[in-house]
Amino acid sequence: MTFSWKRIYAIFNKDLKDLSKNLFVSSIIVLPILMAFLYGGMYDMNLELHYMVINLTLASVTAFIQCAVIAEEKEKHTLRGLMLSPASLTEILTGKSLVTLFLTAITLVLCSMIMDYEPASLGMVAIALIISMLFYIGIGTLLGLLSRTVVEASVIILPVIFLFGFGSLLMVLVDKYPALSFIEYLPNIQLVEFAYKVEEGLGFGDLWSHLAILLAWAVVSFIVTAFVYKKRELD
Amino acid sequence: MENIIEVKNLAKVFGNQSALEDVNFQVKKGETFGFLGPSGSGKTTTIKILTGQLLQTSGDAEVFGVKNTALNTAAYRKRIGVLSDNSGLYQRLSIEENLKLYCDLYDVPRKRMEEVLDLVNLSGERKKVVSKLSKGMTQRVLLARTLLHEPDLLFLDEPTSALDPANSKQIHDGLRLLNEKGTTIFLTTHDMSEAETLCNRVAFLNKGKIQLLDEPKTLRRQFADGSVRLELKNGQIISLPGGAEGADEVYKYMSNNEIVSIHSNEPTLGDIFVEITGRELV
Repeated sequence: MTFSWKRIYAIFNKDLKDLSKNLFVSSIIVLPILMAFLYGGMYDMNLELHYMVINLTLASVTAFIQCAVIAEEKEKHTLRGLMLSPASLTEILTGKSLVTLFLTAITLVLCSMIMDYEPASLGMVAIALIISMLFYIGIGTLLGLLSRTVVEASVIILPVIFLFGFGSLLMVLVDKYPALSFIEYLPNIQLVEFAYKVEEGLGFGDLWSHLAILLAWAVVSFIVTAFVYKKRELD
Repeated sequence: MENIIEVKNLAKVFGNQSALEDVNFQVKKGETFGFLGPSGSGKTTTIKILTGQLLQTSGDAEVFGVKNTALNTAAYRKRIGVLSDNSGLYQRLSIEENLKLYCDLYDVPRKRMEEVLDLVNLSGERKKVVSKLSKGMTQRVLLARTLLHEPDLLFLDEPTSALDPANSKQIHDGLRLLNEKGTTIFLTTHDMSEAETLCNRVAFLNKGKIQLLDEPKTLRRQFADGSVRLELKNGQIISLPGGAEGADEVYKYMSNNEIVSIHSNEPTLGDIFVEITGRELV
């Protein structure tokens, strides 16, 4: 297994240039920013609304951009070129994911500023957000590998945006139908619960279980993605 | 001479369809080896197996003395270059930006980019965005990208398909130059004139099986029937059989000073392929 920052930076740099010229994909960052403006102007913002925008950012910006850039590499037959170069799976995916993380971070900061959201513990929230981003990167990569074109990617990602971007609305169903209680374990719901506890001033001892669940989602998404990538690598 | 590629009893089955069957061949260091056959004959499957992109169903394939099942390493990828008609470039980026990426991936100095752009005659076009390039120029950029890291072994899968003769010639000239410098080339094509121009040895692949393997010159001699073609002063072109009967005729025309030119009727590789397989090379 090789690991070269030079190769990772080369892929990151290429993707950043490419995305700056690809408005079909990069314009997705406007969606959560608009939502932040809309909610900020219409409602008295509470934590639930903050995290609706944050979860939407993760599901749309992180997952969709990652999904679209991978799908486009496949559609244009450039992924095969990368796979036949000395770059390893880790280097290719790290390079591609860094661009997505970079754009997600910018969007999250902008949305937080617009909504005037200041968490009680920035460090703890940052950890939870980073783990969440890894999960959405995994999901985005997986769906990108399964899509044949960018257009297909923009359709296949819709359930993810619905489920994880607006998923907190599903919590109403849990009260009505206890069989759906697994929804509480979805990463977007865990993130909201985590944020509430942070605001209550609770420490790591009370927060770790949420981080563990988020991490478990991220690990599972990475394992499935690595399996699919290896399968594609060997056709 | 050292064998760079060794393939023994190679077979590949997709579902219940056989793509390769008992394929055997070696490629020597420094040679240009042509793998010839019509579409669907198994050429691309062979390249995919030899480049670690696909596993065979049975048999052995070794490249640089390493089994293909262990080829999925950065060290191996640095030694090979792969160009197919299915290779892609980043359409929104310029030629230069595309090549810079691969300079960094292969850890080769940027000045090497100048050399390969010169080789494919694209130095003046480096700032052009790839989406604006013609098919021929795109193919030349792909070749430049494949050559950036000076691979020991080049896999070329139909490198000039869909190119016009002028562009094909330019690519052929570049490949000849590389081969003279010692690069081993594994070329798949269904273009027989390309094979005759470039290859030291050729293998005819049909329905996943190698039907014939030898030097183009040897094959043409082997399949020549000894007949000759005469162009006469009255504009007539006649073909005469070999042996005493033909010799008498040639003598007669020659005595009467009626001949403009005489050529041996050697078959082309395309003719031989049709004779062996009963199929056209398309």
